[in-house]
Amino acid sequence: MGLTSLGDMAQSFLLRRQTVAVKSDLQRLSLELTTGRVADTAAHVSGDLVPISGIDASLARLNGYRAVTAEAGLFANAMQTALGVIDDVSSDLSRGLLAASGSASQALVTAAGSEARTRLETAMQALNTRVGDRSLFAGVATNGPATVAAETMMLALDNAITGATTAADIELAVTNWFAAPTGFATLAYTGGAALARVGIAPGEEAALDITATDPAIRATLKGLAMAALLDRGALIASQTERQDLAQRAGLSLLESQTDRTYLAARLGSAQAQIDAAAVRNAAESTSLQIARADLTAADPFETASKLQETQLQLEKIYAITARITRLSLMDYLR
Amino acid sequence: MSITGTLSTALSGLTTAARAAEVVSSNIANAMTEGYGRRELQTVARASGSAGQGVRVTGVSRYSDPILLGDRRMAAAGSGARDTAASFLKRLEGVLGTPDSATSLGGRIAAFDTALIEAGSRPESEARLSRVAETARALAAHLASAGTDIQTARAQADDRIEAEVGQMNTALARIADLNGQIRTSFGTGRDASALVDQRQQLIDGISGIIPLREVPRSNGQIALFTTGGAVLLDGAPAELGFAPVGVIVAGMTQASGALSGLTINGRPVSTAAEGSLISGGSLAGHFAVRDDLAPQAQTRLDAVARDLIDRFADPGLDASRAAGAPGLFTDAGLTFLPANETGLAQRLQLNAAADPAMGGALWRLRDGLGAIAPGPAGDARLLKDLQTALTAPRNPASGGFMAGARSHATLAADMLSGVAQSRLTAEGEASFAAARLDTLHQMELEGGVDTDQEMQSLLLIEQAYAANAKVMATVNDMIQTLLGI
Repeated sequence: MGLTSLGDMAQSFLLRRQTVAVKSDLQRLSLELTTGRVADTAAHVSGDLVPISGIDASLARLNGYRAVTAEAGLFANAMQTALGVIDDVSSDLSRGLLAASGSASQALVTAAGSEARTRLETAMQALNTRVGDRSLFAGVATNGPATVAAETMMLALDNAITGATTAADIELAVTNWFAAPTGFATLAYTGGAALARVGIAPGEEAALDITATDPAIRATLKGLAMAALLDRGALIASQTERQDLAQRAGLSLLESQTDRTYLAARLGSAQAQIDAAAVRNAAESTSLQIARADLTAADPFETASKLQETQLQLEKIYAITARITRLSLMDYLR
Repeated sequence: MSITGTLSTALSGLTTAARAAEVVSSNIANAMTEGYGRRELQTVARASGSAGQGVRVTGVSRYSDPILLGDRRMAAAGSGARDTAASFLKRLEGVLGTPDSATSLGGRIAAFDTALIEAGSRPESEARLSRVAETARALAAHLASAGTDIQTARAQADDRIEAEVGQMNTALARIADLNGQIRTSFGTGRDASALVDQRQQLIDGISGIIPLREVPRSNGQIALFTTGGAVLLDGAPAELGFAPVGVIVAGMTQASGALSGLTINGRPVSTAAEGSLISGGSLAGHFAVRDDLAPQAQTRLDAVARDLIDRFADPGLDASRAAGAPGLFTDAGLTFLPANETGLAQRLQLNAAADPAMGGALWRLRDGLGAIAPGPAGDARLLKDLQTALTAPRNPASGGFMAGARSHATLAADMLSGVAQSRLTAEGEASFAAARLDTLHQMELEGGVDTDQEMQSLLLIEQAYAANAKVMATVNDMIQTLLGI
């Protein structure tokens, strides 16, 4: 029976089935060619999506760290600039103070004292620098200034040195005031505890933990404040004691120079670390993107040639369909 | 031999040719009808005594291949069952989101992770904290919507079961009715082919639902059994029973009585995927989705949601939190209890204390969920701890995942991979079943009406008719000659 006849529907069913299969191939291939990605990722990686998901998670994280390193770099640079300002004013002033203490002129000492007051204001202004509305030296209290105004601090110091009659007494009182928890730390410092370390790359953290209470900064402020006391009429009775105070202030600033340098170096290494992390993150991000593309990319040459092949196949099916439908005994029975 | 005998013989030839033309016209008219069995006219030489006296029509035979038909129906059922599973898994994969879709579960987790990292850099920034809250909310909402979708799929499977049971009952009743009509036709000797066609179409219509075996009975009647062995029709049709519930939530099962099982003639029938009386068709496929695949997916999803809650519920994580108070993510606002894990994904929420949309405050993300007042603006410790908690390797507490510590993102990826893997397997099986069905269908169609062949037959019929008519004309001439003497 099967040899003598072949149902009409069998032919059309076969052609229909082939057309649908080739057309769906065509659609998949054109999607892959236009997007550059395989149409079915899961099938392409045999159902194991963990590696791709891991890469995606890492890429997203690196993206986050890109913002973090940019900001941390910005803050660190601004802090370095502020420290530079403080160091400049301190070095300038220490030279002036030592020169004044060696001369017999009372006017020179007074002039140095008045300069010290403006320099102290500059230094404390630098400590209260805000970048992107974030206070740099205030620790975790980033929304407020790091220190009180210079004048307020000097008033507190005036109280602390009450009764001191010699330059040595004043130096001791000022040193104690800056060292004691009840002195500078509570009366002048308005910030909080040091900032936590910032994650700048997966598993890597940078410390931007310098606050206005850092020993180097406190020592510098101490020198500046001692000199500024000259401008507030300290030891006005004794010319020699005033000269002595100017000398002690100058020496103190000179001594703290090394600490300031170390502080700047510490910050500099954090800056370098942040920059290195940013570069490394970018490199890692690029290599991850390449790895991801390798996992999911559809080879354009392969896809294009398959597309061509499929197109030809579909054209052949169309040609055959047209031929076969013309082949009917009906057409010859006239 | 007489002249009138010749006339009678020629007349029988004419009649037969007319009947044959009728059969050919019926075949051509039904060339496009699925389930139509090609007809052929059966003739024998009419014998009268020892001499042939014309031709006699013995009947119209209907061509069909019962073995091929049975195979094709079996393939249809297999294809139905696998399509059901594959399409559910495909849908689930889409809802969870593969890594290449913009809003995948992995993408949500990564966004939350990134937001935490960025907020750690500037804890004083409202925008950054608000991004943390938004991404956390989106993550919780994604898990919840995936859970809801799983339950919707179950409810839809329930509806489909009801529809298919209804379809089965209607079809079985009509097949029983046709059985009766065919028996009557056999009794009275009429041609029952058209009724058989209709019956075959009806059986084809339900063969994808439950795999069927057709057994011939006397007088052209048939009996229907499931391949599992249940009697669906033998004389009287069986009545399938099912009660849909409409809305399904996580935790409703057939075992607990919240969901209906299947009955045949009032007797409950197992609906398990293997070894059940009805296994192998789309009906069993829908039961598998409702009672098996979807609850499994929900269990895994709940385990991922639980992992998310547990990560942030560590007592050491946030000192401001009272003992036993919920962490960053809550079970509908409350502390999660392991006993309530079923359906957790749908109830997952960002802690209201940190969600401005629910009367909370963003700074609690930075200063602790139990904090009474904002702390130092630059304190990033908690945010860093939260980020660490999200990515730290941790053993999933439930869900039947392979043991091993992993980050939350990897756990979610493991869940997705499980779904993708099952989907690929199901699709592979489904395309194999579909190819088998297509091949068998193709073979069945090859035995269908061939118009070329019918036209050839028509040519022969035309010739035969003309020849018989010529015989009659000649006989007429002979009689006229006789009368003219």
